[in-house]
Amino acid sequence: MKLNKLALATAAIVGMTASGISQAVQLQVSITNLTHANYMTPRLVIAHDETVDAFEVGTTATTALAWLAEAGVIDDAQDAASAGQNFEALLGPAVTDNGSNTWQRFGGLLAASATVSYPFDTMGKPKLSLLTMLIPTNDAFAGLDSITIPTEPGTYHYFLNAYDAGTELNDELNSTRTDIVEEGGGPLGAYGAPGVAGAGAPPLSPNMGTGGTGVAVTVGLAEDGSALAGANEVVDGTDGPVHIHRNTLGDTSRTAGKSDLDSTLHRWLNPVARVTIVVPAP
Amino acid sequence: MKTKLIKLSAIALTTALVVSCGSDNDSDSGNSTQAEYAVTITNLTYAQPFSPASIVAHQPGYQPFVAGEAASVALEQLAEGGSATQLLDEARAANEFLDAQEGAGVAPRSIGTVTTLTVPSSEVENLKLSALTMLIDTNDAFTGLNAMDISNMAVGQQKVFMTVSWDSGTEANTETADSMPGPAAQAAGGGGASAGFSAVRDDTADIVHIHRGVVTNANAADPSMEGLTTSILDEGARWDNPTAKILVERIR
Repeated sequence: MKLNKLALATAAIVGMTASGISQAVQLQVSITNLTHANYMTPRLVIAHDETVDAFEVGTTATTALAWLAEAGVIDDAQDAASAGQNFEALLGPAVTDNGSNTWQRFGGLLAASATVSYPFDTMGKPKLSLLTMLIPTNDAFAGLDSITIPTEPGTYHYFLNAYDAGTELNDELNSTRTDIVEEGGGPLGAYGAPGVAGAGAPPLSPNMGTGGTGVAVTVGLAEDGSALAGANEVVDGTDGPVHIHRNTLGDTSRTAGKSDLDSTLHRWLNPVARVTIVVPAP
Repeated sequence: MKTKLIKLSAIALTTALVVSCGSDNDSDSGNSTQAEYAVTITNLTYAQPFSPASIVAHQPGYQPFVAGEAASVALEQLAEGGSATQLLDEARAANEFLDAQEGAGVAPRSIGTVTTLTVPSSEVENLKLSALTMLIDTNDAFTGLNAMDISNMAVGQQKVFMTVSWDSGTEANTETADSMPGPAAQAAGGGGASAGFSAVRDDTADIVHIHRGVVTNANAADPSMEGLTTSILDEGARWDNPTAKILVERIR
């Protein structure tokens, strides 16, 4: 995200009027998906103070970040299994002044090239962060990293990088597959299990392959290359701390190769999203 | 305007933000003739270790490289072999030189140690920072700051720079064990100093430019033949920009 600080410095200031230190500011926050064929899961938007840090490069991800980056889950309503571990547990209730923060989930899958816009009440908090998972990936997310909310009325643009939460190896295996299982026998997909999330969702499934042998880890092998108990098992390892995502690999085979992603569709380069914030005149 | 903004982000090597201005430190404890800066490099890549960095505070005029022009031999030493020695010597010999340190190497996905530079307070208003480090599992890739402005920072103020990776243009990107100094090449029977610097300039164009990334041997057997069969790098060696986060704080 910090790639875009120049954009901040050169942001088009629209309708400059007398500024003042504002309290409850109603921002208009919009996000555009700049990738070729990745979808973005419901957006977590947080206004917060210095004590809240949703993610930090070089630092191990929280469980809340792992839920967001592996499964696109922010709160209990999305997945009851995440209760006590998700961002709702970390931050407090949504659309509430939680002291250090206030946050909202803005729902719906955001398709490539699409833009959505939301009104967002900052409740006087000085910083803003926005996180959304890229699917289909193992644990990639686009992040706006604790920017200082501008106080001058105007329109501000920020460009977001794709980060790797580091909580799951990038095996790039289709989570709807039943010919392979998590080590020990569990199904693939979602939080705490190997495989890319969202593979079964209608917008993604037509472009998902099967038969891949695994990218960052190989089906049937542990991370050190030794054989697992079952030849169809996939190990669930980590590759943290949080860092810039090296991009998906993909391949051009729908039925074989290492990856179940398509290298002609599912790759990206930073920036992967643009966030525009409109600060209204008081 | 939007198009222009995108262009700016893409082309600018780095962009900066004033993170905090909490200048609650009072007087400089009596010693106001020196200004001190703490520089911290975070390696944002998945698996590319950073070599010990050349970190230089200087006045305007000195530049460790110019995009689109041939690299100096000193930069070639850093970009091919991961040695900052010649680049530091070159900087110290420049008229614009103020202070320099060799930073420690930084492992992938980790925050490096703090390096401190001291300059006369009288130089604060014209201060530049250059900080370069090699991605050592490559032929000649490096990242960092090229004479970025850090002038007039208040004590306690921070600036964050996100930096992209450059190709020094001094060595063909063969990705072989005998041409890269890092641990990936070492594991493949090469690596080390002998696989680092070579005076031969055999890249397709002898100019410093934005690195196009490593190809690696992933998918070499895929029907697409996307991979480079002769590369000893695997898919984990790939990166996307930015590759480093450089935090600068004026501490005195």
